[in-house]
Amino acid sequence: MADRQIIEEKSYKTVYREGNVIIKAFTASHPMSGVFNEAYIHACILDAGVPAPKLLGVSQLDGGWAISMEYVAGKTLSELAQENPDRLDEYLERLVDIQLETGKYRVPQLRNTRLKMENAIKTLTDIDASTRYELLQRLHGMARHTKLCHGDLVPSNIVVKEDGSYAILDWAHASAGNAGADAAITYMRFSLDNPELAEKYLRLFCKKADMPIQYIQTWMPIVAAFQLTKHRESERPLLEKWISVAEYQ
Amino acid sequence: MTKKNAETPVTTVETLEAKLAVMRAAQRAYGQFSQEDVDRIFRAAAMAANKARIPLAKMAVEETGMGVVEDKVIKNHYAAEYIYNTYRNTKTCGVIEEDAAFGIRKIAEPIGLVAAVIPTTNPTSTAIFKTLICLKTRNAIIISPHPRAKKSTIEAARIVYEAAVAAGAPKDIIGWIDEPSLDLTNLVMKEADIILATGGPGMVRAAYSSGKPALGVGAGNVPAIIDSSADVRLAVNSIIHSKTFDNGMICASEQSVTALADVYDAVRAEFEKRGCYFLKGDEIKKVGNTVIINGSVNAKIVGQSAYKIAKLAGVDVPERTKILIGEVTSTDISEPFAHEKLSPVLAMYKAKTFEQALDMSEQLLMDGGPGHTASLYINPDEKEKLAAHAARMHACRIVVNTPSSQGGIGDIYNFRLTPSLTLGCGSWGGNSVSHNVGALDLLNIKTVAERRENMLWLRLPEKVYFKRGCMPVALDELGTVMGKKKCFIVTDTFLYQNGYVKPIENKLDQMGITHACFWDVAPDPTLQCAQEGVKQMKSFGPDVIIALGGGSAMDAAKIMWVMYEHPDVNFDDMAMDFMDIRKRVYTFPKMGQKAYFVAIPTSSGTGSEVTPFAIITDATTGTKWPLADYELMPNMAIVDVDNMMNQPRGLTSASGIDVMTHALEAYVSVMASDMTDGLALQATKLVFDNLPDAYNLGAKAPRAREHMAMASTLAGEAFANAFLGVNHSMAHKLGAYHHIPHGVANALILTYVMRYNASETPAKMGTFPQYEYPHALQRYCDVARYNGLVGKDDNETFDMLIDKLEALKKTIGIPASIKDFGVKEEDFLATLDEMTENAFNDQCTGANPRYPLMSEIKQLYLLAYYGKDTREAGKI
Repeated sequence: MADRQIIEEKSYKTVYREGNVIIKAFTASHPMSGVFNEAYIHACILDAGVPAPKLLGVSQLDGGWAISMEYVAGKTLSELAQENPDRLDEYLERLVDIQLETGKYRVPQLRNTRLKMENAIKTLTDIDASTRYELLQRLHGMARHTKLCHGDLVPSNIVVKEDGSYAILDWAHASAGNAGADAAITYMRFSLDNPELAEKYLRLFCKKADMPIQYIQTWMPIVAAFQLTKHRESERPLLEKWISVAEYQ
Repeated sequence: MTKKNAETPVTTVETLEAKLAVMRAAQRAYGQFSQEDVDRIFRAAAMAANKARIPLAKMAVEETGMGVVEDKVIKNHYAAEYIYNTYRNTKTCGVIEEDAAFGIRKIAEPIGLVAAVIPTTNPTSTAIFKTLICLKTRNAIIISPHPRAKKSTIEAARIVYEAAVAAGAPKDIIGWIDEPSLDLTNLVMKEADIILATGGPGMVRAAYSSGKPALGVGAGNVPAIIDSSADVRLAVNSIIHSKTFDNGMICASEQSVTALADVYDAVRAEFEKRGCYFLKGDEIKKVGNTVIINGSVNAKIVGQSAYKIAKLAGVDVPERTKILIGEVTSTDISEPFAHEKLSPVLAMYKAKTFEQALDMSEQLLMDGGPGHTASLYINPDEKEKLAAHAARMHACRIVVNTPSSQGGIGDIYNFRLTPSLTLGCGSWGGNSVSHNVGALDLLNIKTVAERRENMLWLRLPEKVYFKRGCMPVALDELGTVMGKKKCFIVTDTFLYQNGYVKPIENKLDQMGITHACFWDVAPDPTLQCAQEGVKQMKSFGPDVIIALGGGSAMDAAKIMWVMYEHPDVNFDDMAMDFMDIRKRVYTFPKMGQKAYFVAIPTSSGTGSEVTPFAIITDATTGTKWPLADYELMPNMAIVDVDNMMNQPRGLTSASGIDVMTHALEAYVSVMASDMTDGLALQATKLVFDNLPDAYNLGAKAPRAREHMAMASTLAGEAFANAFLGVNHSMAHKLGAYHHIPHGVANALILTYVMRYNASETPAKMGTFPQYEYPHALQRYCDVARYNGLVGKDDNETFDMLIDKLEALKKTIGIPASIKDFGVKEEDFLATLDEMTENAFNDQCTGANPRYPLMSEIKQLYLLAYYGKDTREAGKI
């Protein structure tokens, strides 16, 4: 165990590296179905040919379940951006290209983004029923697509290998749906840390996707509500502001 | 009764389904109510809503925390009174329109169960509006309120409902969801017969995707332009009046003002003078970012006062401030002020030119409220600018010098704009309607259309002169009565060289009418020949044209007449086929303005002197243009057998049997009428009785010649009005492909076509309201009996007619078959398919009593080619 290197620790899981293997070890109380579901999603996207770490197995570990996968050598886009701040625009462009590329895959086994969000919003009892009603109404009015959505496509989830090719990490939140929602999530994640970069990302994405900005903006209250279900207190003020919007009349 | 639905409140899928079931039953009963009962209920409901306008307004403001009580009172008042007033006398039950002469009746039926989605911005007034128009149209209505406004929406519906029931409406004719949720709203939309959706784009899209017909409406982003010519004081105060109404929540409220540069300062000063606040420096950004979040409007500022919004944004303004105005330049959606703001916040732009103002308005409209409403303040005399604005704006309501909130909903500032609280935005806004939605949108209109027959006609030349030796007498009229000065004669070389023109010229000379003559018309006249003739005609400038000859000369003269009167006509257009001569796409030019047209036939055949037809061929391309229009009818026909005495035998035979074919086809045509029947019958008799002598004896049988002349004209008059049939369609092509004289071509197929037409079980019959059932056999038997042929039954009578025709054909030298005429089998077969299709497509086909299939035409051609027994054609 000497070469075990912890990468991330959360209340319900620990992610560490052992040589060329990454192990995501969940606590014993974490539902087994959740672990297998995550492994299943990962398997589905690999089958579809999406560049991602090879899946090595699901096994029992210390009373809980663990997913092991190949370690991908390289640096994440966020690491690269920190190292070379002058090349930020280039990395942002890479992110958008990869996101548009991802949207071209079809993985029909995945859950539908809309249903996933609808269920999440329905559980959000800490916002009032009228707001939930409006959010769900807005969600129902959105166009229904089946594009692969990563669900958390941020620079730290993209590894660029030495040969320049890439792999996308962390498929736990992937679904099939509207690419506008996926972009709105990325925009939201940027906005929580760096609003200026978020605006830059949004403009670049819309330009490259040939999509009107309003289209992504319409998703923002919905993805903000979705994010609220993660109950991160620090994010709450911004997200609550985002969901407090009325429909045009 | 409680404020909830009676007995069980609707809070779940099960209770909603139960509610919908009782409502459907109520609607079925209400659907039987009379107009009188419905009007009484409509009135009682409107009165009740009207009386409750103040408590409902208070309730709405209290519950939603948006808007202004006094303005909501106006909206409730409007929804009750204006809607009632507009539809009080409108027929919505049973027969609403009837035209006995045209046999058309319109019957209004309810649609059934209407799902109504009501927005938070107008919760009570929209509920009143929708329930009232449903009551007026005998529909049931289930209301899905917004959770934020459910109490006041339900209360408004309840007041209308109770008054309606008290006035006699069935229980449960109005219902509502007590605990709204999206699942229930979606269920209501799926279950209803039609959706009346007012609200945001998300909800309207959901309505349209429910699979049920939806009357959904879109969002607005109303741009107002103040032109240099506008009355600035009226403009600014109208905008303030509109924009502050219910704190700017009406979808038709102005969101931006674009003032022309030369009045900008005056506009600005007037806004300031009337208590509006112009945001300064970073205040614009502060308010903008408060009002708009991520491109959407902040829910917290909707329907709030200007003061409250400024405070939220951290901007100090006087408490009585009416509107916050941001002077901005960008009309792009990245500019918060360019959006719909649903509050007393307004963008103000400066435009250098009217054109620039239009560009800016159009962009604002299309980005934020496509299809909704646009506003213009202008001097009404500026017609060009008004037209340019109306042409440019993709808006379904364009209000001029009018506060758009109150103006867009109709009937307040313009009394022909339908009052409504649901404003359609057309396809630009993704809607099915582009008008203000009203009661008439909630009806199914049944149209009862009774069979009617077409008006028919009898159109003839204004003068038809006949009797042997009548020509000089008739011509006299040209000089003595009409005072004509210049006459142009069109004829063929043979007639000219043989002195047929001389008597005409002599008569004209006698009357002092100068004349010229074109005598180069060849058989099957060409466009080139007509062009040559018209060149001379133009330089001569006649006020009367005399066509002397057979069909070719008369047709050529008619064409020259057209080209002389209308040098720019296009023959392709004029020759366009039609199904009904009165409904043709092409309008034939008016004839007779330059020259009077006289036709003098020299053969007894075509009847062209009394018909509105002419055929011309382009010699370079071979294109034939058959022209047909009553404008081509000669003004005067002179039928003088002296001109026909010496017709050669071949011509007598061919043109004589052509007359018979005209008469027979006109008599069995779907357009045959009592007006033409007598003409056609008499023509058949004259031909049967006189053609053999005319053929055998020629000028030695002057009476026979004279009768044949009459037969030709009579048959012409008949088919000029009843038209022909497939015999002529087939003969036209047979003649053209194989160089067979027209009359002979007709004769070669005549008895086959008659057998074919006489079928009592045709594959298809001709389409014409007067043609009730296949009855060609009876019609042929009429002809037989008129000619003294009476068998033991119709079939035998018909056989006798066929036999008599065969005998006649033999007597006058018609070959027994197309083959016998000398057409080579290989040539015939090589052209058969093309001839068939072209014959099917011939203008004459449409009036045939049997609508021919192409395969049937082909069979007929083959039978006639080989001279098979005509009975074979009867089996087709």
